[in-house]
Amino acid sequence: MMEMGDWWRRGKWRIMVMLTMLHIVGILIFTRGFLLTRTELPYYSNCSDVSESPCFTGQSNPYQNQSNSRCWTRPAVDRLVIIVLDALRFDFVAPSTFFKEPKPWMDKLQVLQKLASTKRSARIFKAIADPPTTSLQRLKGLTTGGLPTFIDVGNSFGAPAILEDNLIHQVDNGCIEHLLPSLYEEDWDVLIAHFLGVDHAGHILGVDSVPMIEKLEQYNEILDKVIEVLDNQSGPGGLHENTFLLVMGDHGQTINGDHGGGSAEEVETSVFAMSFKKPPPTMPSEFDTSSCEMDLDQKKTCISSFQQLDFAATVSALLGVPFPFGRCRPAVICCGQASDAGYLLFSIGRVSPELYTLGAGTWNLENNIEGNCPNQKEEEWMQNYCNVLCINSWQVKRYIDIYSASSVIGFSSEDLLHISDMYAQAEENWSCSSESLLLFKDESCYSSLPLKRKIDAYFKFLLNVAELARSKWTEFDLKMMGIGFVIILISLPIYFLAMMTKSVNGFSSLLFGDSEIFVKLVFALFMVVIRACSFLSNSYILEEGKVASFLLATTAMFKLRNSIKREKMLVEAIVFLLLITILRFTIEVGLSKQAATSLFMSTHSSWLVEIDPGHPVWIYMAEIIPILALIFLAYLLYIIMARSSCHSIWNSTIIVLSGKQGPLVALVTITGDFMSITVLHFFQKDLIMFPSTGYCIMRLGNIDRGSTDKVAGILTFDPLSVTQWSLLATCLFFVTGHWCAFDGLRYGAAFIGYDEFVLVRQAILLMIDTFGFSHIIPVFGLPFLVARQKLLGHTDQDGRLLLLQLSQMYLMYGLITAASVIATILCVIIQRRHLMVWGLFAPKFVFDVVGLILTDILICLAWFYYVGRREDGTQLTTLDHRD
Amino acid sequence: MVKASTTENPSQSVSPMQTFFIHLICGVGLAVGLWVAHNFYSISLISNPSRTLRLIWVTMCPLVILFYSCFRKNPEKCSYLKAVIRGVLALPIGALVNALGAIALGAPVGIQYFPKTVNWSLLMSLFTFVPAASVFGSSWEDWRRIFAHTKPNASVDYMICLPAHGAVIGAWFGAWPMPLDWERPWQEWPICVSYGAMAGYLITMVLSFVLVLPRGRQQHPKAD
Repeated sequence: MMEMGDWWRRGKWRIMVMLTMLHIVGILIFTRGFLLTRTELPYYSNCSDVSESPCFTGQSNPYQNQSNSRCWTRPAVDRLVIIVLDALRFDFVAPSTFFKEPKPWMDKLQVLQKLASTKRSARIFKAIADPPTTSLQRLKGLTTGGLPTFIDVGNSFGAPAILEDNLIHQVDNGCIEHLLPSLYEEDWDVLIAHFLGVDHAGHILGVDSVPMIEKLEQYNEILDKVIEVLDNQSGPGGLHENTFLLVMGDHGQTINGDHGGGSAEEVETSVFAMSFKKPPPTMPSEFDTSSCEMDLDQKKTCISSFQQLDFAATVSALLGVPFPFGRCRPAVICCGQASDAGYLLFSIGRVSPELYTLGAGTWNLENNIEGNCPNQKEEEWMQNYCNVLCINSWQVKRYIDIYSASSVIGFSSEDLLHISDMYAQAEENWSCSSESLLLFKDESCYSSLPLKRKIDAYFKFLLNVAELARSKWTEFDLKMMGIGFVIILISLPIYFLAMMTKSVNGFSSLLFGDSEIFVKLVFALFMVVIRACSFLSNSYILEEGKVASFLLATTAMFKLRNSIKREKMLVEAIVFLLLITILRFTIEVGLSKQAATSLFMSTHSSWLVEIDPGHPVWIYMAEIIPILALIFLAYLLYIIMARSSCHSIWNSTIIVLSGKQGPLVALVTITGDFMSITVLHFFQKDLIMFPSTGYCIMRLGNIDRGSTDKVAGILTFDPLSVTQWSLLATCLFFVTGHWCAFDGLRYGAAFIGYDEFVLVRQAILLMIDTFGFSHIIPVFGLPFLVARQKLLGHTDQDGRLLLLQLSQMYLMYGLITAASVIATILCVIIQRRHLMVWGLFAPKFVFDVVGLILTDILICLAWFYYVGRREDGTQLTTLDHRD
Repeated sequence: MVKASTTENPSQSVSPMQTFFIHLICGVGLAVGLWVAHNFYSISLISNPSRTLRLIWVTMCPLVILFYSCFRKNPEKCSYLKAVIRGVLALPIGALVNALGAIALGAPVGIQYFPKTVNWSLLMSLFTFVPAASVFGSSWEDWRRIFAHTKPNASVDYMICLPAHGAVIGAWFGAWPMPLDWERPWQEWPICVSYGAMAGYLITMVLSFVLVLPRGRQQHPKAD
């Protein structure tokens, strides 16, 4: 027995470390399969590549001589002005008649609507983005024509979110300042201006707000000016003779101003395209998929839609550069991430007919004016378009080939074969050039039939590739996910085994002997299982805070029942219940705050309606409560110190635990609390959150009192207390105003005390703010549950028992955390095709997984701190006994 | 620990027949309340929860108080009227406790929820507190035995203990569907909680009768 105990004492830290490693490995493997990643190719498209394509067989590239920088297709436009309005919803641009009911934010960009309805050279498009709809992702998708992966999402949360809130009105000033003068300059081919104002206004105040409408009206003015300048210069020989204007959003946003997910509101954005070339273009009606509607002035407005994926290819085709952007001279002005637009990659998009027409419809009309065919124009257009598609398809095929050759996780061979077949089919019969079409020429006009068939074949090929790519790059690697899951699952029996072995160790065979404890164990397990199962539904994940407080209140009632049974600590049990009630209301405040920004939650704060955040009472509360909290904490500290000093005759080992750890926990609490107070003070407008910090500390002192009511007589630890502790930790996460979404992170916390950005330091600060209350303090505070109990009078207990209890409690705590994370992972596996997977499940998964690893590491640290120290003491005592 | 083992014939002995009768009356009272609401006022728990709940508890209240008072403890010391008054007094107190419990667990608070919460907690009080108050009065030991230890001894203990626990546990389970996004009208507070409570109450009444049955057979020969 002694040897076994020794082995355990020496070995158990290894178990902790082993479990940590197991979790990390499992999570890494799982994440590799779950979060989508795609190999990026280091290749660039070149002008010379085009000679390899089958599109110009039998003749030299007719366009190569004309211009050096434009080579792939015949350039349709000379200059391109792209104005990106971040988070531009579709209904910002489209006339309100397209929607069921007009909303205040509609019809604000009237310049665009007027042009779209009066001019044939202007049109509004509905662009459909691929989720996740975050700016960086979308800009990358726009410029490269690729599909997004999840890993990038994380990168895009930093930059725009850190910008200060009150900068909505200034955020675009740089853009505005530089945009208009640039229009008069000659040294660019593509001008990109990126306006962030709408995105900001949305994030902070939502769509239905005054600043949003003001912002849109401001844009209306700017666009009016821009179009005026372009229009003035668009005469023959003018600077903008052949300029193409695109006003576009990179993604949409929900009514609450959120984006990132895959709901219709988020993926639907709009593109306004206008060509300043005269005369306006035409297009064969069979490719026109637009829907028309009368606008407010009873003019007909037509709107077509295309996939955002196709944008890059179309723009490249218009500019006549290698697909997508080749070496044109981009003039990227202003605003952060827009500089990414210079990156060049491969596109799998197809050239969108409508958008292409606007810019490219009519460039060689003048040459063929003598033709008297009725559909001459259409013919010309189709031929051009066919050519463009030919290069487009060839490029896509080449990309697929290179990708599957160079990437580890490529496409399956049958998929590749299928694609090759389709490509061959599209290629085989005719070339787009007019020579091969002579056969079909009747009289002076071409028959459009073969051309059309050919275009259809290309369409089919391109659409199939896009579909395949979508399914592949947004496909999960189930094998990896499975392996990762199993590895994490293995940790569960290890936890049990470790706990059981210790039970065998002589002291806690009582664990299953006592029916009382057994009931508690069953009850605790029941709670853990319920909580784990609740993760299977998105509704419960959204309301996780409420679920946790519901379960916590249930355990508190169970405790109350027990304390009535024993007629002990009745007051504590009732106070505990009351505190949980307060906790529950605080969580609701946090949830209503989340609902204000979240896309899935409807605001249903039941009792908050009448609270005005600006009310002076709240401001006073906000000032006073943290101070009170600190005073209370100081008092608590004083009590603990006083106690440990007056009982200095106790076993030295216990003093180590109670005396040393009490102040430590308090210190951690103070730091964490101060931290979050500062955060709240400077960065959170919602002052209601303040009181919660005060309550937390009170509860910290209180829960163990509530939980020890029963334990005192029993030697092993109380499983219910640990469960409560863990539930409380979950509640604290929500009480302090966090929630499991990336927009719930308080980036402001990263900059307390520092102005400049250092990644590691700021990440640590953010981590402390996010997980401070829910992970760090609970883990380090766990020994309170034992220490208090010891203070109550069992001074003659063997130190080793304490040690054993502590280790078991840590194992139990780890077990509970791991169990809920496993449930989350299982849920993510099951729900991976759910609509909200990126909006809800994936963030929850990331938060949980980070929390689990953090908890593991903290348990290891706490272990070394408490138990390592205690072991020295124990050995000393043992030696004493031997002597 | 088992100080309060009440073998000293505390209350009137209850035959299984009586148990069955009382449970039947309570169940029928519940049903009548729902039936009246549905047929005379053409409302249901979903369309108008607070009025329906009020109808139910008003129907059940006299039945529960009057019939449970017959089985009061120490009938020679405590008159029937006193037991009835105890039951009436316990109604609002029990409602308060139930309402506080529900709020601690997450029941919504607000002006628009106030009548619903009040009526619901009065009904819950009828399920839980009122029978116990009528029978035991202010005997703390008995309350503790029934609600904390859950150790019913006599038949009347079963009749109080089981339905009360059933109603509370049923209400607890009934709260589960509330956060789900099915957007059904019955997910509102306190509709599904009331359904859960009623279901739990009815089921445990049957259970209590089943458990009382063998005891009645044992007691009968003794009485002879």
